[in-house]
Amino acid sequence: MSENTFTVTFQPSGVVARARAGEILSDVALAAGVPISLPCGSQGRCGRCKVVITRGEAERKTTVRLTATELEQGYALACQTRVQGDLEVFVPPLEEVIVRRLPTERGAERAYELPAACDWAAKPTLRKVHLQIEPPSLLDNTTDFERVSRELARQYDIRNLTVALPTLRRLARALRDANWDVTLTLEMGTWTNPDGPPRLLDVAPGNQTQTLYGIAVDIGTTSNVVYLVDMIAGRVVDTASAYNLQISCGEDVISRIIYAKKPGGLEHLQRLVVQTINGLIEELCARNNIAGTEIHKMTVAGNTTMTHLFLGLDPEAIRLEPYIPTITHPSPVRAHELGIHINPDATVDCLPGVGAYVGGDITAGVLSSKLYTTDKLSLFIDVGTNGEIVLGNADWLISCACSAGPAFEGAGVQSGMRATIGAIEEVWISAKTYEPTYRTIGDAPPEGICGSGMISLLAEMFISGVMDKAGKLNRTLNTPRIRMGEHGPEYVVAWASETRAKKNDIVITEVDIANLIRAKAAIYAGFSVLTRSVGIELADVEQVLIGGAFGKYIDVEKAIQIGLLPDMPWDRFHYLGNTSALGAYAALLCADMRQAVVEIANKMTYLELSADNTFMDQFTSALFLPHTDTASFPSVMRLLQSVGRQSQETQ
Amino acid sequence: MPVTVETPLEKWTGKVREVTLGATRDQKGTRSKTVTVGGETTLPFLHFEGNIPHPPAIAIEVQDSYPSDWSPVLLNAWGDTLKDPAEWAKKAEALGADLIMLRLRGVNGDGSETTGAQAAAVTKAVLQATGLPLIVRGPGQAEKDNELLVAVAEAVAGERLALGLCEDKNYRTIVAAALAHGHLVINSTPIDVNLAKQLNILVSDMQMEPDRILMDPTTGALGYGLEYTYSVMERLRIAALTGDSMTQMPMICFTGEESWRQKESKVGEGVPAAWGDWTRRGILWEAVTAVALLEAGADIVTLRHPDSVPIVRKAIEQLMAH
Repeated sequence: MSENTFTVTFQPSGVVARARAGEILSDVALAAGVPISLPCGSQGRCGRCKVVITRGEAERKTTVRLTATELEQGYALACQTRVQGDLEVFVPPLEEVIVRRLPTERGAERAYELPAACDWAAKPTLRKVHLQIEPPSLLDNTTDFERVSRELARQYDIRNLTVALPTLRRLARALRDANWDVTLTLEMGTWTNPDGPPRLLDVAPGNQTQTLYGIAVDIGTTSNVVYLVDMIAGRVVDTASAYNLQISCGEDVISRIIYAKKPGGLEHLQRLVVQTINGLIEELCARNNIAGTEIHKMTVAGNTTMTHLFLGLDPEAIRLEPYIPTITHPSPVRAHELGIHINPDATVDCLPGVGAYVGGDITAGVLSSKLYTTDKLSLFIDVGTNGEIVLGNADWLISCACSAGPAFEGAGVQSGMRATIGAIEEVWISAKTYEPTYRTIGDAPPEGICGSGMISLLAEMFISGVMDKAGKLNRTLNTPRIRMGEHGPEYVVAWASETRAKKNDIVITEVDIANLIRAKAAIYAGFSVLTRSVGIELADVEQVLIGGAFGKYIDVEKAIQIGLLPDMPWDRFHYLGNTSALGAYAALLCADMRQAVVEIANKMTYLELSADNTFMDQFTSALFLPHTDTASFPSVMRLLQSVGRQSQETQ
Repeated sequence: MPVTVETPLEKWTGKVREVTLGATRDQKGTRSKTVTVGGETTLPFLHFEGNIPHPPAIAIEVQDSYPSDWSPVLLNAWGDTLKDPAEWAKKAEALGADLIMLRLRGVNGDGSETTGAQAAAVTKAVLQATGLPLIVRGPGQAEKDNELLVAVAEAVAGERLALGLCEDKNYRTIVAAALAHGHLVINSTPIDVNLAKQLNILVSDMQMEPDRILMDPTTGALGYGLEYTYSVMERLRIAALTGDSMTQMPMICFTGEESWRQKESKVGEGVPAAWGDWTRRGILWEAVTAVALLEAGADIVTLRHPDSVPIVRKAIEQLMAH
């Protein structure tokens, strides 16, 4: 036996291999037939080749992907480890490696929590009361409505009851069918009339006071989300989401506004969004075994244009200088006026916005992100079709909006999809073979790529050299995955045989890449202009709060690599999920929260980017990976240098 | 009482890179001299503030076949010389050019497409006819540029030609050919500081040394957006001087092409009498454009009319005198 060879024993398989001194552990394993996953091509970037060295000496070339605890436990990256003596190595199953990463590095899925303590039960906006009423007789010929009012005052001390026509029309039949034993649903107040008078919404037979529902709705330009809320427990019971059917009339707010100008266009758009929401309501009702009429309140967060289209307001003036909406604080309307399939008399409450391009989705986001209560200088970003950005803290708020397009929501991209089962949400690309490894939501066969998958894919294509910093695919590389497609050069992420439908390859085209780069550039340019407008550096921001329809998470590291987010320590970023829907939920449930949204809207300053002469320059500068100003992205430059994809001179 | 006024001096930290075109016999080329441009440590011609080690260079444009689309003023001035690129280059050298810019039209006089072999042959002929370093530009269509420039780069390896134009959509092939055969490249971007820097980064990422890159910021002619050109070039130069290494490449401006494309130079009939003598107007249009761009920071200007050359030369001499 030569002095310079060692024995490596792999567990749990028990395979024994010989290794030269200094040999890389993953090479030894693969030569011995022990499978180790190397998605990033042995660059030590992805952390998927984690093993535990249970006995012996080894040198770790890099430990970037390992936590202090893991190092203590003997973890090493097989592709970055040199054999220095006889070893015993435990190779964990791949699933274990992946599962271990999620909670530690990316944060678990958020609960649907309220942004602040709120005693919503003490002053509920909706109430149900059970009434047993003495039937009328010749001796007591008081009318039905007065009879109900009288009993309500007597039994619950609720006075001045009002009622609207749809409910009044059903009243006589409902009382008699239930033999005068009924549950009344009452709206105790709205944000315009917080102290009432109470309004009768519904009359149901028997005692049904255990259940009371409302819905919180986020009307996004691309995606619509509905939360079904149990108004008694104060919990989100279920959620559903779908693409806004208006997409067929244009992908962004501007094209929708133009569409609305056509004869019948506005009515058509209003119908489409109502149809989308009704579809989601139907889905939620079926799944939870309730009737639509059991939903008695709806709170809506949407950008200004979406709110206009939902209410059927003419949006034309939003598009044209000086960009004036019809209204930013709409009064409550009734569900039947809009055609929403919940209780027809239920209030539909649209949250207030600030201006033409900062709407109720952002005030809701500021609410749910708690930005309005923090002392820390914070940047809030809602990554949607419009990238809305808010900078500030408890004392001041300034916002701007930039058109990012629907790419990060998976729309307007050839293989894009929403973040649902089968969406590719994470990708690694080997810098040696240019072969990708991906993970899908639900570990199902892939159907497309969602927003977080796009970010991951873009970053990997760039770091591995599949494309250059301008987003052009490197067609000189020797791989069948880069090819000329129907829409120009493209990269194949998954072959048709791997997909669920087994029909088409999942690809990303140069056109898609250009769309994504434009989207990220618009958002980053928004950051730059907004911070400069108040005379601070981006680096001074103490926390970055991220909302958007990315699915469960956004990979901050990858988002920095493509220059979507500023290069800051990862712990300054907090991904909050759908902040718009969460804000609508808080405002639906709690009158104080609803009031807080008004205060947020009144406090927020709006910066119009189209009137800012530095925006175009910042935008062009950001149309590059990660950014033309490479000095602003030191961590990405270090990474590129470490993988040999960066000339020293560029620094 | 005499008042002493101190000239305020800017302290720049950056420097424009020195780029040398052409290689002599000792350097494995065949040129009788090389031309170095760049090296400035201050804004154009502020000799009191910093160094301007090399005067800007004048290149005369030569085309590989008869430029029938040129202004009659140019065709008359050069005469039959235009039919022979080698002869044309020789005459250009005699006129005092520092560099020759050979423009491959992509189409031969008989209407056939230029082949790689033909492009290589004309390049060799021009090299033989003159001792000056050479700039070679393709016709400006990605595929044809790649085909012709690769053939040229291979055929005259080691000559340190400046090959162009590299654009963000088409740079890999030209850069690879320049790298393999010892030439330089010209990066061209549409009149924007960020875009210029981005292409320099992309080309540098292919391991092309920064002192083998010239940049064309895209320039206009007098009366056709020259002010905007001027402002972008000035911003690029300020970025270079403040230490941004990816903007420190010397700038080349295709002045002749721009100014002779304009109505004032191209058209002699049906224009107002106040415009004056056509020939004189065309020459001055080119010379004034060139001098303005030199003031904006151009390190190389390319010219077309023989009589513009001495005007621009005199201006350079005066601007360099201190």
